[in-house]
Amino acid sequence: MTSVKNIYKPLKAKLTEVIDESPLIKTFVLIPEEEFSFGTGQFIELSVDGIGEAPFTPSSSPHVSDKLEVTVMKTGYVTEIMHNLKPGAYMGIRGPYGRGYPVEKFFGKEVIILGGGCGLAPIRSLLYALEHIKDKLEKVILCYGSKTPSDCVYKPLFNRLNNTEKFEAYRTVDRSDEEWDGPVGVVTTLLNKIRFDLKNSVAVVCGPPIMMKFGTIKFLEMGFREEEIYLSMEKNMSCGLGKCGHCMMGEYFVCKDGPVFTYNEIKDTPNIWS
Amino acid sequence: MQYLSIIKEEWDKAIEQLLLSYTIFASVESEFGIDYEIVNPANIGKISYNKAKPATSLKTFFLPVKENVTSGASMKKQRVIIGAPNCDIQGLKILDEIYLDKEFSDIYYRDRRENTVLISIDCLEKQEHCHCTSYGIKPWSDSDSDLAVIRNGDLIILRVNTPRGQEFTNQFSVVHELRDENIISEIEAGHKKAESLLNESNKGLPNYKETGAIIKNAGREIWKKYSANCVSCGACATICPTCSCFLLVDKPGFEKIKQLDACQYPGFQRVAGGEDTLHELPERFRNRYMCKYVWKPEKFTSIACTGCGRCIEACIGKINKNELFLELAT
Repeated sequence: MTSVKNIYKPLKAKLTEVIDESPLIKTFVLIPEEEFSFGTGQFIELSVDGIGEAPFTPSSSPHVSDKLEVTVMKTGYVTEIMHNLKPGAYMGIRGPYGRGYPVEKFFGKEVIILGGGCGLAPIRSLLYALEHIKDKLEKVILCYGSKTPSDCVYKPLFNRLNNTEKFEAYRTVDRSDEEWDGPVGVVTTLLNKIRFDLKNSVAVVCGPPIMMKFGTIKFLEMGFREEEIYLSMEKNMSCGLGKCGHCMMGEYFVCKDGPVFTYNEIKDTPNIWS
Repeated sequence: MQYLSIIKEEWDKAIEQLLLSYTIFASVESEFGIDYEIVNPANIGKISYNKAKPATSLKTFFLPVKENVTSGASMKKQRVIIGAPNCDIQGLKILDEIYLDKEFSDIYYRDRRENTVLISIDCLEKQEHCHCTSYGIKPWSDSDSDLAVIRNGDLIILRVNTPRGQEFTNQFSVVHELRDENIISEIEAGHKKAESLLNESNKGLPNYKETGAIIKNAGREIWKKYSANCVSCGACATICPTCSCFLLVDKPGFEKIKQLDACQYPGFQRVAGGEDTLHELPERFRNRYMCKYVWKPEKFTSIACTGCGRCIEACIGKINKNELFLELAT
């Protein structure tokens, strides 16, 4: 057999740290055995040896090449076992796959990012990437919503962003608790409070399907053009290579043609929000 | 077009000789019908010629139901497959587009493709559900298989379709250039007869493109009606020469087992959170047709239904997709 890369073979990566982000969300810090780089918004297939693999967009900076961070919500069989892994364990990674955020298209613009729940994971990677090129950007505004204050991931991120030139970050929660004194309400309500130049802005949405749907509707109502709304789509994926068929969404393979699409590209595709 | 001829008796001997250097599969006729068998000296005489079509599609030779794609071995011996009908040869083209794409080429698929000599048959008769011509596919191959084989009385005629086919025939010492115009005319007449048989029995069936347009606009009621007898067994997808969806299953040691999957199985698109766009049976049933006639044509250049009719033959619910299309077309 000709010796060319086997597309199905994972690269081993050592788990060096597990960070508790919220009761259901942990971040896994991985050191791949070989050099591994990715573009922000691209995803990897992360596997637990002998158990299974699932797609995740790394939450770390694409400019850091010696380690990789992946934020995982405990949702199903594989992620539950992932949550029990301890530093020292080896995981498998395949990728990076798909089309990430086209950050070069954001040059000279204001980037308005709407995130919900664990959707902040890909967004954090995007924020790192945007920080890296902030001289070329006008402004970056993050609006983030979580169910409760304790469900918010990367809490220190918000202060850091608010102390970074050209960056603003806002938070809301669906349900308050005793310590929360910030806004309460769905994440789209934050968009009413921010100031930006509509004619020179792009929107990025990432979160649970229902939030993606209403976030997109809100941006459209605000006057954003369909091709300026970037959505990070999520589907059942097995191979990540545009072959296995699981992530087919109309004529698109979300794994290869996405996961980042503009709303304009997929607005006529059925079942995009489910 | 170059034709070669060899006396049938010599051809059988040549195949036996080739068994020393190749693993040979051929469509063989038995009391159960026509299907592929591994060739051995005892069944060479039973190889089927001129008849449509093996029960199993050609896909099986290139995409096994289950294979280890992290530590699987490469092919030890070159293969020859005799008896593939053109519907299956055309089906292989979309598999090539998926599995040999420039960015992510599947080394296991490629290994099998590179090490297989394809000898197609000319279908000079049809089976009940054959409808290749409705989708613009001829019942014989003159370009995409390496060689095509036709039996004409005591002669075996080989049509040379590719340089690899030409090279392969160099192994036969008793092969001659066919110059008998009468035999060539007979072959051509056979093609025409097969085509008209196919056209006649599939009169009114919309073509591939039209099918895409009508199923795209079809309402939920029709999918409900035709999926009523569907038990989600996935036989239609399993037997289909172009359905190639799969699932990767993890084994200890970071090994991956690739096993064929189908959108007709419940849970095919279910995500960990529980959402499942194909949860409802009519949706799932519709998905396969949308994939074949609407989405794949937008994405690939090759056809995703070759009109082999095996999905109709395999369905235990007796669902006939052509009846569905005819109902939609009228």
